[in-house]
Amino acid sequence: MSKVIEISPTTRHEGHSKLVLKVDDQGIIERGDWLSITPVRGIERLAVGKTYEQVPKIASRVCGICPIAHTLAAVEAMEASMGVYIPDDAYLLRVILQCANRAHSIALHNILSLPDMYIPGTDVKINPFTPEEPVRSVAKRIQRIREIAQTIGEISGGECIHPSNPRIGGLYTNVTPRAKSKMYDLAKEGLALARDQMEFMIAVFRNFQKRDWSEVGGMQVAIPATLGYHNQGYMATDPVYGSSSLDADPKWDPARWNETRPWDWYMGEMEITDDYPNYPIGGTTPKGAKAWPQMEACTGVPLYDGQPVEVGPRARLAVFKGYDEKGTIGQQIARQMEYTDSFYKIIECLDALNTSASVLADEIPQGDGSLGWAANEAPRGSDVHLARVKDGRVQYFSMLVPTTWNFPTCSRALTGAPWQLAEVVMRGYDPCVSCATHMIVVDEDNRLVAEKLIQ
Amino acid sequence: MLFPRVVVAGCGNSLFADDGYGPAVVEALQQVDLPDDVKVIDVGLGGPHFVFTLLDPEVTKRLIIVDCADFGAEPGTLARLRVEDLPPGAYRDAHSWDLAEPLQRLKDRIEITIIGCQPKRVSAPEFEMGLTEEVQAAIPKTVSYILKEIGVENGTALQDSGHLHEERRHGGDTRDDCPETRRAGDAGGTGETGAPADGSQTG
Repeated sequence: MSKVIEISPTTRHEGHSKLVLKVDDQGIIERGDWLSITPVRGIERLAVGKTYEQVPKIASRVCGICPIAHTLAAVEAMEASMGVYIPDDAYLLRVILQCANRAHSIALHNILSLPDMYIPGTDVKINPFTPEEPVRSVAKRIQRIREIAQTIGEISGGECIHPSNPRIGGLYTNVTPRAKSKMYDLAKEGLALARDQMEFMIAVFRNFQKRDWSEVGGMQVAIPATLGYHNQGYMATDPVYGSSSLDADPKWDPARWNETRPWDWYMGEMEITDDYPNYPIGGTTPKGAKAWPQMEACTGVPLYDGQPVEVGPRARLAVFKGYDEKGTIGQQIARQMEYTDSFYKIIECLDALNTSASVLADEIPQGDGSLGWAANEAPRGSDVHLARVKDGRVQYFSMLVPTTWNFPTCSRALTGAPWQLAEVVMRGYDPCVSCATHMIVVDEDNRLVAEKLIQ
Repeated sequence: MLFPRVVVAGCGNSLFADDGYGPAVVEALQQVDLPDDVKVIDVGLGGPHFVFTLLDPEVTKRLIIVDCADFGAEPGTLARLRVEDLPPGAYRDAHSWDLAEPLQRLKDRIEITIIGCQPKRVSAPEFEMGLTEEVQAAIPKTVSYILKEIGVENGTALQDSGHLHEERRHGGDTRDDCPETRRAGDAGGTGETGAPADGSQTG
């Protein structure tokens, strides 16, 4: 008889989600559901009636980790609807911003995935925060890559978190020749570090792949050769940047996109039958509790050609570069391969950048209400925004964020893995579940007692 | 260096009503001339992973966090909090909003001040833009407080800022308060109380 285990909340990724796992007697997942438990918020409703300049600012606030992807996708969705063509140099600076963001994101994700991995040749799991070598110098390298990427992003994007430079029609300002040289120097330093880091990470992942077992919460589990395999297919719009409905050859098609309700996709109500208090962190959900993925899932299930698909680094490499390694490790390695690509692309764009050219379109039509879409290849996958703008006001706006695509796909990829490794599979997607905000709460004496999650 | 000696980070989400207090203070501070070694950042929800984990204590000596915090006071009340006042939280999620842990690591090496403002309404999970009146009114006070904290003499500069409330005056002609201003105003036709008193602008 199948057992039911729930891991909630899942850890070491952005946002709040959980895993509901139906497992057999050996602890192998027969069916898994990974779902967002962060409530859906009405960004689409909020955008209607706002000006086209306001909506990208609103979109960038949806998430604490992908503001750059959301800003660029929203700006370009507006441009696509209005028929605004931006100057080449504005495009180059946007690509630089995009690649800097990607390099930072890969480095940050390294910290999140390393604790699942082992130091090659030992049975010691990696703690990225340990002061001991060889991990210490890796951690320092990761920090330096993040710092370099954020600095390049800040120079090209205006600010490094919520970029203020991109606007409808291009950018507010071009960079100075001095800023260009500064970015160039940083990118060259970053490239060397990224290559070393990529090689290190690939060695660590390959080592994990060759291992027979992994230890999780005191339990020793076999690592299957097919960890994280699925047959859902891939979706990507560009190897680096993105695509939009203004392109001569658009790489995404809204007619192939459909959305189904979580009710039709996830499992029905069931009772948790097993619990493991030693599972990190804080144990699994106690037995006897109820789980009802159909009702609890907060995101719709987007389909492309009638199926959920995978988006992200592996999808980009598979669609555009013939990459064919499946599974969690294949996905992680694809992500590392984007490290050097990001810096090469920054250097390539800087070589082509003319710092004295205009970065703003001569003409900005105010929109006639036609549908435009823009897909931005965010670090964790295609971020598609759709918009209709008429006479300067947004009539319709919608966001299809990467992890929404990956939820149902990853749920399928869980099948066949030991349940203890479900989070390892999930982390391979570098998920970003839109986050709610934390607040400080007080007890009756008005003393701060706990941090509360406002959901 | 990505971050200079003094970093002011405005935290919060402007889509959740008063949670946008931090970014709003940053916007007001950006109107003020600040020294080169001060950086004011609208960190949104990205504070811990974009800023707090990237600070170099060799360079950054001062971190001021501006955020809304519920401490049971009247809306718009400001509180100065220390890292020790923050509730304990395990560092479980490097991407997530985790105020406590990265700061615990930094607090002995960087002087950290948290300026909390009591919100009236945080609309999460529903989106609502714009601060309530009470919290909006706390912004000028916060700006002056931060300027004092980082040792910037703001003088009359803030009176020109549209974000700030003018001082109330009871009766009479404002120009009588300062004859210098009056001359400058008459010559240039500006007549604003906040204009430079030496008349240099009128040239």
